[in-house]
Amino acid sequence: MMDRIDIGIRDLTIEYASGGYIVRPIHHLDLQVASGELVLLLGASGSGKTTLLSALAAILRPAAGIIRVGEVEVTTLRGAALTEYRRHRVGVVFQTFNLVPSLTARDNVQAPLWAARMPARRARARAEELLDRVGLAERLDHRPGDLSGGQQQRVAIARALAHDPPLILADEPTAHLDYIQVEGVLRLLRDLAQPGRIVMVATHDERLLPLADRVVHLSQPVLGEARPPRQVAFESGQMVFEQGDRSDLVYTIEDGEIEIVRHRADGTEELVAVLGPGRYFGELGPLFGPQRSATARAVKHTVLTGYSARDFRDLVGSGRLAEAIGRPSY
Amino acid sequence: MWRVALRDLQWRRRRFVIAVLATSLVFGMTLLMTGADASLHNEGRRIVAVLGADAWLVADGASGPFTTSTPIPAADADRVAATPGVVRADPLVVLHSTLRRPSVRDVNVIGARPGGLGMPPTAEGRAVAGLGEVVADTALGLGLGDRVELGGLDLEVVGLADQVTWYFGTPTVFVAIQDAQALGFDGQPLAMTIITQEMPRSVPSGLQVLSDAQARADLERPLASGTQSIAFINALLWLVAAGIIGSIVYLSALERQREFAVLKAIGAANRSLLAGLALQAVLLSAAAAVLAAGIARLLAPGFPFTVEIPPSAFPRLLGVAVVVGLAASAAGLRRAVGVQPALAFGGP
Repeated sequence: MMDRIDIGIRDLTIEYASGGYIVRPIHHLDLQVASGELVLLLGASGSGKTTLLSALAAILRPAAGIIRVGEVEVTTLRGAALTEYRRHRVGVVFQTFNLVPSLTARDNVQAPLWAARMPARRARARAEELLDRVGLAERLDHRPGDLSGGQQQRVAIARALAHDPPLILADEPTAHLDYIQVEGVLRLLRDLAQPGRIVMVATHDERLLPLADRVVHLSQPVLGEARPPRQVAFESGQMVFEQGDRSDLVYTIEDGEIEIVRHRADGTEELVAVLGPGRYFGELGPLFGPQRSATARAVKHTVLTGYSARDFRDLVGSGRLAEAIGRPSY
Repeated sequence: MWRVALRDLQWRRRRFVIAVLATSLVFGMTLLMTGADASLHNEGRRIVAVLGADAWLVADGASGPFTTSTPIPAADADRVAATPGVVRADPLVVLHSTLRRPSVRDVNVIGARPGGLGMPPTAEGRAVAGLGEVVADTALGLGLGDRVELGGLDLEVVGLADQVTWYFGTPTVFVAIQDAQALGFDGQPLAMTIITQEMPRSVPSGLQVLSDAQARADLERPLASGTQSIAFINALLWLVAAGIIGSIVYLSALERQREFAVLKAIGAANRSLLAGLALQAVLLSAAAAVLAAGIARLLAPGFPFTVEIPPSAFPRLLGVAVVVGLAASAAGLRRAVGVQPALAFGGP
């Protein structure tokens, strides 16, 4: 294992094109993780858990911000240094295991060692040692198709440990397991978080909460906290919120005009709507949790009232909520 | 990473075996086509050699001894024999005819002076000594003493000669020149060519001198479209083989996209994944080439004429197969290079 490391993520934004629009599952994220911690990244589908893991694994390049793992600034890695990082500094347990179907359990664990050109005998011994450690010494020559989900997950964990990396990333490690299989995998993950190593687990499985040293919520709690409505004024061209921002308030327009635009992948903007006094916007994010799907901008001097999701629901009346959100919203 | 490629081949062995079988059949056909082409050239070389001529004299302006339609007087042989440098000269009649008995067979007919140039060495029996006798190609399946009917002539088989075919294995019969003249010229004393032992130092008037190579070229000229067709079919067969190998490697690359993504994510270099796929293509091609050698040997006797696959064709097939296999797998290799490791996470 490497020396004691920690992780520093500063102002991280990851974006990609989806359906012609820019999507930012991670937007201005700051996070510090200390060595030895098991961190749960908790959030709904689409909240950016897997995306964040991909960036930590140096598989996805962020649009902005810095990721530092120990002394390595991951976001600047290129070429051989990038390959070296992927081989030796990070181990990944993928969702759905992602074992190579043609390889036996032993070969799957050896694969990263082969990639690093470790001599065959040493690679074999290391793979057998790791499979023994995860309780699969009797299944060395079984292919993934002959293993249960829990056993496959344990092979995936052994593969992630092949180079004894200081950072282990696990993506939904319990997603395809029954409760009996989950138990063994949870114990393994907990054991891995030792001084000198960080384990980050992306999940929406709240059964994992007691395991964690820290929990990072990547989507806000549904409905959020109640807080009193407040009136805010915006000048012409000023942004109320930006596409990809975390959602907080639902706005009604008291005076002025708001334009709703979406940023396309080609860098242009699509005007979705121009709303006047009496209209409301931005209700879906606070009510259900996803980030803002569009940008809201004042066309001229505009006064808005911002409501928490709870207040908005009370304002509309829960019976009419479905009708309210059934209309196009932004 | 080559181990991953080998394990994948084992894993998909049924598909691999089917691909090898299909490709080897195609490669086998290319070997047979190569053998057919070689046979055509070998036949020409052999028949020209067997006639024992150093020079071929034909009518001035004639295309050559095997294709001319301008006969010359057989007596010109005496004039040629008197030419300085010539040790011996004999007239030769070259015809195409049909054996009527014991079965109908197209044959090449060569009429030569008994005891002169133009009679082949016999594998069995003796050479033609006079009228009414024939030396037949063993390919006709005749025996010594058999009687055959050739253009109304009743002939006795007195000798058998080996490998005296031309024009896609058409067998040849050798008769006395008077019999051939009766067959082709109503008995007129004409010949197609006069062949000599040693080269004439001057050219008798009205004649032209051709070398063995020119005589062979004359023999092969009518076959040009046949050999071109063989070359064209060969090229098509190579394309089919490339298509099979390319499809297999491309399908493999498509099916293994997530696997490639995972391997890249765990630190496998692009070039090692490429080498693995290329290794599969090479193994497929090489295995098919080896099997093709056996298939070609097995099928060759089934052809209506002798297929002579040159020994050099086997290593050449292996080399070309590997190159074609690699070239055909280019699309699959490009696909593998393009796989993003992010796919291992299922997105984005």
